[in-house]
Amino acid sequence: MKKNTWISLLAFVFISSSSPSTLALNANQLVEDSFNYVRGKASVSTVMMTIHRPDWQRKMTIRAWTRGQKESLFYIDAPPKDHGNGTLKKGREMWMYNPKVNRVIKVPPSMMSQSWMGSDFSNNDLSKSDSLLTDYTHSIIGTETDDGKNVYVIKSMPKPDAPVIWGMQRLKIREDLIWLSQEFFDEDLKPVKEMTTLEIQMLAGRLFPKVWRMRKAEEKGKYTLLNYKSLIFKSSLPDSFFTLANLRKPRR
Amino acid sequence: MYLQFAWRNIWRNTRRTTVILVAVIIGIWSMILLGALMRGIAEGMIKNGISTLTGHLQIHHKGYRSDPAIEHSITDPQVVEHALNKVLPSGALWASRVRVNAVASNARHSSGVTMVGIEPSSEANVSFIGAAVYQGRYLTQQDQNGILVGEALLDKFETKIGRKLVLMSQDTKGEIASRAFRILGVFRAEMEATEKQFVFVTRKASQIMLQLDTGISEVSVMLPGKPDNPNAISELKAALPQDQFEVHSWRELLPFQTAYLRILDGFIWIWYLVVFVAMGFGIVNTTLMAVFERIREFGLLKALGMKPWWILREVLTESFLLLVTGMIIGNILAFLSIYILSRIGIDLSAFAAGAEYAGMSRIIYPAIEVKDIIMANGVVMLLGLLVSAYPATKAARFIPVKALAHT
Repeated sequence: MKKNTWISLLAFVFISSSSPSTLALNANQLVEDSFNYVRGKASVSTVMMTIHRPDWQRKMTIRAWTRGQKESLFYIDAPPKDHGNGTLKKGREMWMYNPKVNRVIKVPPSMMSQSWMGSDFSNNDLSKSDSLLTDYTHSIIGTETDDGKNVYVIKSMPKPDAPVIWGMQRLKIREDLIWLSQEFFDEDLKPVKEMTTLEIQMLAGRLFPKVWRMRKAEEKGKYTLLNYKSLIFKSSLPDSFFTLANLRKPRR
Repeated sequence: MYLQFAWRNIWRNTRRTTVILVAVIIGIWSMILLGALMRGIAEGMIKNGISTLTGHLQIHHKGYRSDPAIEHSITDPQVVEHALNKVLPSGALWASRVRVNAVASNARHSSGVTMVGIEPSSEANVSFIGAAVYQGRYLTQQDQNGILVGEALLDKFETKIGRKLVLMSQDTKGEIASRAFRILGVFRAEMEATEKQFVFVTRKASQIMLQLDTGISEVSVMLPGKPDNPNAISELKAALPQDQFEVHSWRELLPFQTAYLRILDGFIWIWYLVVFVAMGFGIVNTTLMAVFERIREFGLLKALGMKPWWILREVLTESFLLLVTGMIIGNILAFLSIYILSRIGIDLSAFAAGAEYAGMSRIIYPAIEVKDIIMANGVVMLLGLLVSAYPATKAARFIPVKALAHT
């Protein structure tokens, strides 16, 4: 009896001490899988973006096309004032198109940290979205349960020389690869902002969070909501879609 | 005889003479002191400007000055290095830098900065940064990820030594380059704007980040002796291929300061004029009074056979003595106050924000220039005699009979 407990305890210690490496490997895989799950091979969607401030609120309808981890094209449908504004993202680079002046500008480094269309997302959040996969090392630091499923809490530390501004990110990813939250911390590990997903439901044939919310940690009254109105996953989109020529093309 | 006569005449009315003497003293004192202060401001500004990454002269690739983009960098610094070694007098120091606009950001803040890639050892002799680090340490050749930031920037970013700062800029291929640096040291500069604007990294690090290879943006040269050295500039221009390089003196590189220097000369003249007008009226008034008091005396002198010219000379000598006495005391006072001020300086830190717009130092040390002192004294003497000529001619024109009958 006594011997048995000793053995099981030893076994437990052994397992738990050897587990971090396998878990870390899993963590990287988990983040990448989950990232791919959200982005799909290619997707076409319509999103309602709500920018909320304590004293005002503004809604925009955005149509978005994405392909793989790196390419995306956004285009504002409504309100009419902003109709036609487009953003093309390829890799780390971004271009913006303004129909009023009929000009495409390449977003310069100086504008990368500014907010995108006045929202709580910065241009960097968009253009460096895959930086989470390349510039960080992930490790699972805990588990929770949500809706009867396991949720992995993942600590993502930037690699030593990675050009990222965050000191740490904390992700919560459900075992079925649904992204529950992403928190951004500064180097003192104080939270700066947080993205959470709500209303997980069937969209385009798979479970998908319908609402995404980006909120600054210090100002609870300010947030940006992304609400998926429609979403279709495709196996691919043509190369010609993610080009500057297509960015300028008027869309209804 | 004249001098003695005049000297005694002045002191016939002690109080009146003292009053006008005080006016002259204050006038002279304020002229010299203010002139010295303004020179001090100007010198501080120029020293600031030169040490804030300007140097006495700079060499750029053609077109860099009008468009400081990365495409206009010097791709072959060897040529410049060679020319510098050949042309410059011994004792000249130089440093080559990479200088581009970048965006610095951390988790909470981001702001536009100028990223300066420096060669730590040669830069220390040329610009302020060598002696400006007050916390942490200065860069060394090996600090591939080290960065020096100003105190004001550090406060603005709510960060500290050892923390990360990500710089973003455009590389030679027109793509966005970013690199993470760790804050190694904090520097203080004369101006807050300097602290906020410049961040320093090693030249190698900036070249790797921007894919510049061995390219640099500028070479800054400090010459031994005076800042202005037209010879060195023309020789350098001749030694470097004209179609590739530009050489500029600090006067061209700091147009604002140069313009200010020019305004300053005019300004000092205006100040002299203002002071003199106030003083001049006092002098005329006093001399005129002294003349009218002595109508009978002058009449008598004339009746005894004194020529009008002698009387004129007599009155002018009186005001000359008055002016000389005032000048001597005024100059002594002025030098004394300048001496004291140049020891302690005038601390403008309280108004630093206001003074900074012009690139002024936080502490002003008055600077004496012989030209200004000669000018101040000359102006007072010349104009003083000129205005005294009016009462003097009046005295010379008295008709003896009428003057003697005057009661």
